[in-house]
Amino acid sequence: MRRIPRGTLLVLVLAWLVVYPLALVFVESVRGGGGGDVGWTLAHVRAFAGSSYEWTALWGSVWISFASVGLAGAIGIPVAFVFERLDFPGRRVLGALVALPAVLPPLVGVIAFLFLYGESGIVPRLVMTVFGLEGAPWRLRGAGAILLVHAYSMYVYFYLFTRAGLARVDRSMLEAAGSLGASRRETLFRVILPLLRPQIAAAALLTFMTSLGSFSAPYIFGGGFRVMTTQIVTTKLNGDLSLAMVETAALAVVALMGLWLLQRSRGSRSVVILSKGAPPAARAIVQPVARWLAAGVGWTFAFLLLLPHLTLLLVSFVPLGTWTTEWLPPTYALGNYAAVFSEPERLRPLVNSVWMAAAATIGALALALWAGRVIVQQRARLGRLIEMLTNVPWAVPGTVLAIAVATTFSVNAPWIGRVVLVGTVLILPLAYLIRNVPIATGSVLAGFRQLDPSLDEAASSLGAGRVRTLVSVTVPLLRPAILAGGALAFATALGDFVTSIVLYTFDTRPVSIEILSLLRQFDLGTAAAYGVILMAISAAAMLVGTRR
Amino acid sequence: MTERPFLEVRGLSKKFGDHVAVDNLSLDVPRGSVLALLGPSGSGKTTTLRVLAGFESPDAGSVTVDGEEVTSLSPSARRFGMVFQHYALFPHLTVEENVAFGLRDRDGRTARVLEMLALVDLADLGSRNVDQLSGGQQQRVALARALAPSPRLLLLDEPLSNLDPALRDRTRRELKAALVRVGITSVFVTHDQEEAFAIGDMVAVLRNGALEQVGSPPELYEEPATVFVATFVGRAGVLPGRFTNRGVTVEGEMTIPARTPAPLAEGHPVVVVIRPEHAHFVSHGGVPGIVRSRTYMGGRALFRVETETGVLEVDAPVDAAEKGERVQVTAERALAFAADETS
Repeated sequence: MRRIPRGTLLVLVLAWLVVYPLALVFVESVRGGGGGDVGWTLAHVRAFAGSSYEWTALWGSVWISFASVGLAGAIGIPVAFVFERLDFPGRRVLGALVALPAVLPPLVGVIAFLFLYGESGIVPRLVMTVFGLEGAPWRLRGAGAILLVHAYSMYVYFYLFTRAGLARVDRSMLEAAGSLGASRRETLFRVILPLLRPQIAAAALLTFMTSLGSFSAPYIFGGGFRVMTTQIVTTKLNGDLSLAMVETAALAVVALMGLWLLQRSRGSRSVVILSKGAPPAARAIVQPVARWLAAGVGWTFAFLLLLPHLTLLLVSFVPLGTWTTEWLPPTYALGNYAAVFSEPERLRPLVNSVWMAAAATIGALALALWAGRVIVQQRARLGRLIEMLTNVPWAVPGTVLAIAVATTFSVNAPWIGRVVLVGTVLILPLAYLIRNVPIATGSVLAGFRQLDPSLDEAASSLGAGRVRTLVSVTVPLLRPAILAGGALAFATALGDFVTSIVLYTFDTRPVSIEILSLLRQFDLGTAAAYGVILMAISAAAMLVGTRR
Repeated sequence: MTERPFLEVRGLSKKFGDHVAVDNLSLDVPRGSVLALLGPSGSGKTTTLRVLAGFESPDAGSVTVDGEEVTSLSPSARRFGMVFQHYALFPHLTVEENVAFGLRDRDGRTARVLEMLALVDLADLGSRNVDQLSGGQQQRVALARALAPSPRLLLLDEPLSNLDPALRDRTRRELKAALVRVGITSVFVTHDQEEAFAIGDMVAVLRNGALEQVGSPPELYEEPATVFVATFVGRAGVLPGRFTNRGVTVEGEMTIPARTPAPLAEGHPVVVVIRPEHAHFVSHGGVPGIVRSRTYMGGRALFRVETETGVLEVDAPVDAAEKGERVQVTAERALAFAADETS
């Protein structure tokens, strides 16, 4: 009898969860609509290809994503250099503060921008009051608004990755360049930036994929400017399922092409930092004026970055209907929070979000541990395949994944792996779980790789069985990795909007959907209160996750 | 009239907070010669090198090269080459690109790279990535890269410490040969006495940031100025004793002929340093002691003998004594240092 290779079961589970739904989208896009017994057809693809309406949206997605990469890099990379290389008063605190846009869930960030810079937001009203204008000085609409939100939330990737890379650049590299006659400028362009290439490429990739999948910003601010993610949801809501499938497939193809292109730019030559010396110390700014100038610029920058968070907090105390024409809301009260926690119908979205995110996180972590054991500890031949599979959900936009899950689990055919889950309480946790697989696996796998394999062998040589080894050696050592991956996964699922808008039902509506419907009712205060609560829970989770 | 030294270091001092890393250090290095900075860790040798290179600025003192004071010049303006302890090769560049990094002129760049790679015997590895090289090869690339722009002075920071012992010996000879062939004035840092003696024309022994002694290897070995130099440079046993007009008297009332760096009064307490090759086992009349260990070194062995007042080392044929045996040791000569000046 031939032995089944290790990890086969895991491969099957992952394939069913992440590949199968996507494959079904592609299949459905070339089949006759309705019951599925109509047979193959290219009609929908032809309709898509012949429509300039579709191409405009696709092109919008692509150029917005490239522009977001450029803008976020132009902010994040210099800021990383400033905080890693210069020492000035408040550097440590500010260095942590400037990463804060990352804890804002996408939709929450967008509504914070709306309250702050939107047509009837605080800043335009202030400008109107100061200059005595009749109408709003600008409208927060279209590509510019989307880019603003993207740059704000995604520069953090460049900032964090570049800082991490800079911290690993050996001081002697820079000294070597100096002793070979290179000026500081030459050292920057010929040594430091090339050494940072992997980190910068990774940040660019992450930014590109995130912008391509970005839904909240175009949904709220898009106006006449259309991108593919919002187009897909609109088409689906209009009932044209087949066209939605083609659109989804097209966006998936663009995502994979972007992934391939940016992976190549990472460079084939490995840039392993060979030496083991110390990273360069931050250069203290000695001149008092320069010191305070640097600190002033730093604090101003941090304040601008925190303004959306502060705005959200402020608006969350505004009772319904009290903020009309003033530039700052006139009345503040705790009523919105009281309502959220005392009225069952108001509390429900919060409870939904928390339990669904928790369940999805636990599921994703279980898969991640399984994958870690199979890949690292048992050195399965299928390891590379498993790792690739766990990364698939990351490579496709959230909307694509949501449509794929909706398609797969709307038909009852257990013999081909399809059951009806759409409309049940299980569909959202499942979708969150699939989206969380890359985050959880990435962190847990990194943890497994840092473990000394001989620890396992030591445990078994001391008589510990597999279970005891796992419980008393592996998991405790992996704790930081599990917590970090779990926190990030939980926060992502908690604030999810993209997947939810495709799959929610009234009973399982998460906070993001509730925020959206409150915005439609102009109940800004309660929407902001939900936003603050989401932000607080995410921040608490991240604090637990990053504690050493 | 003697030629002015090529490298002159005058009164160099460097503090890190309260810690004095370099303490009023002065050194001269003649053109074309190799100076080794030797000392235990924390002796300030690496800081001295980094000040010479311009990576640290001194609190006091000056560095002059070929008559030009460079103390306040940036590293890139000094035209010094540097070989780093961990080599600091650029991982994103090939071997050739690393060597070419410091070459400004396009003309002749390729030829110069080839010349340098040939010098370090790596002519056929130019297109390799540096992470595909062995430790010894990386060290040679680092040397070629530092020498390529024809620096005025070459600085080497523990250039052999990253190599395994078998490779170190060969690389040491190759490094010495390359330095001799190029004829470049060099300063290199090491904590290994053998390495300092093998490569350095002159050796400066540092302790706590200050210069203990500078001299040629035979001078340091035969005429050390302090107990520290005597025991740090080469193996030695140490016993307390008294100065007499016939030498030094140690325990067992044995008298050994000895030289001292400065004249001493009769009866002055001294620290007596005895090299293993000057010590012998005798059947009677020596310092009594017990053999604590025997270490094989080729055909002979090094015996550690514990006596009442100290420990002696004896270089003798392997079968001269057994571990645990009671023996008597005498010495044909010794070095003596006034006891109150050392502690």
